[in-house]
Amino acid sequence: MRCLSSSLFRRFWGLLPQYVSVGPSQSPNLSPKQSSLRQSCSARPGLVTAPDVVSFWQKVFEKNGIPEARESSEYIVSFVLGAKTFQSLGSEKLCTPLTAVQQEQIQQLSCKRLERMPVQYVLGEWDFQDLNLKMRPPVFIPRPETEDLISLVVEEESWKCKAKNSAFLVAVPSPVILEIGCGSGAIALSLLCKIPQSRVLAVDKEEAAVDLTRENVHRLQLQDRIHILHHNVSYGSAKHLLPWGPVDFIVSNPPYVFHEDMASLDAEILRYEDLDALDGGDDGMRVIKIILTLAPSLLKDSGGVKRAAVVGWPRQSHPGPVNFTREFLWEELFWRRWSLQRCWAQRKM
Amino acid sequence: MSVPNSFTFAFVLTARSAALWRTQRLSLSRGPSLWAAGKRSSLQLVQLTEAELKEQFVRGDGPGGQATNKTSNCVVLKHVPSGIVVKCHQTRSVEKNRKIAREILQEKVDLFYKGEESDVYKEKKASEKKKQEKKRRAKENLERKKHFKEMLQLDRK
Repeated sequence: MRCLSSSLFRRFWGLLPQYVSVGPSQSPNLSPKQSSLRQSCSARPGLVTAPDVVSFWQKVFEKNGIPEARESSEYIVSFVLGAKTFQSLGSEKLCTPLTAVQQEQIQQLSCKRLERMPVQYVLGEWDFQDLNLKMRPPVFIPRPETEDLISLVVEEESWKCKAKNSAFLVAVPSPVILEIGCGSGAIALSLLCKIPQSRVLAVDKEEAAVDLTRENVHRLQLQDRIHILHHNVSYGSAKHLLPWGPVDFIVSNPPYVFHEDMASLDAEILRYEDLDALDGGDDGMRVIKIILTLAPSLLKDSGGVKRAAVVGWPRQSHPGPVNFTREFLWEELFWRRWSLQRCWAQRKM
Repeated sequence: MSVPNSFTFAFVLTARSAALWRTQRLSLSRGPSLWAAGKRSSLQLVQLTEAELKEQFVRGDGPGGQATNKTSNCVVLKHVPSGIVVKCHQTRSVEKNRKIAREILQEKVDLFYKGEESDVYKEKKASEKKKQEKKRRAKENLERKKHFKEMLQLDRK
């Protein structure tokens, strides 16, 4: 592996006393410098604890210019020890010496991180809200900000229900939601969990994303409430998106990065993630425009009252949709960085 | 003319629904009900408002969104009036860490202001007492069993 040949890496290697298999030979005796790497737990000489290993790899990452050195090291060690975060490890586990197998696993994962692989891909999984999802390159890793988007949809759905009730109409008991660009399935699956009667049609143009979403769906046993479609919304008509008829909501976290900004993204993103999930074209709005143009023909016409699309983008840099769909009345509402587009009845010309 | 009418329609609707939206937003971001809804809702704790809190990890600061992929979601939360700081990195989700940080901070602040009157303190004392009681009873039972065994052996002789 490329990482083992780094001379800097070799120098640090000797500092960790108990490596059994892989790597260059290490001295069995501890030098004063090696002893000084010990943390608060009084481990016997020759044994390493979790804090020791975290510090070791943190230094390796720092010397190799890996961003978030401490966090990466903590996540990897915690993962091998069966915990989500370092802080959630019990005090017992913090003092227990690590086995050779555990150290080996940590080393293998850390080598991947040394190649600038994002932690989520290194571990092969990540959490999104209350869900644990499998992660695999190049499928786009859900960003923490997107958790907000879920709350926004849930709010909008409950408000829609109230609005209907106040007009003496029957509330929507089981909303149908269309997600464009489902990626790993984070948004779709969160919505299925948060809105118990909902059904989701998840669409993505990449087969890898469709496969990963399917895998996550099966892991969570939600396959009877979701349908996943391999389809590119840029081509073809809206009818491909209507196997269940018109939908109550359209959700999307589409690419919105300006094309000229793509080259300045972190190596973690450029080397491993699907760039089509980020590149929004020259004005950052390429995919957003497509979604909003299709939206009126996809959304249910609920008695002439509003229909909604929740599309997430940074509001400061991208204008609203008013210019795209002249035949419909659009209302734009903001919440944090998110933009909610509500499509009202057809404009009377 | 139909065009001005439709614009008026849009304006009225926007104003009304925007107001409703703002009300909803307020209830989501500022209500103390966020903490009362937690698992410790049975306790009477000091209510904290967002205005009193200062959070180190604040979503939306600096460039973010899709363009970055940060995994550092440790939340550092400070209660300004008392100076108490809580650091939370229990989960991989920022939202959950923020929620847990607020719960822990609320308990700490309650303890700080109410001392022994605090429900947190009382609950802790009660559980400690229960534990001690359990230990005492277990010890007693062990003694009784030992004594009983000795008595049996004596009988056999």
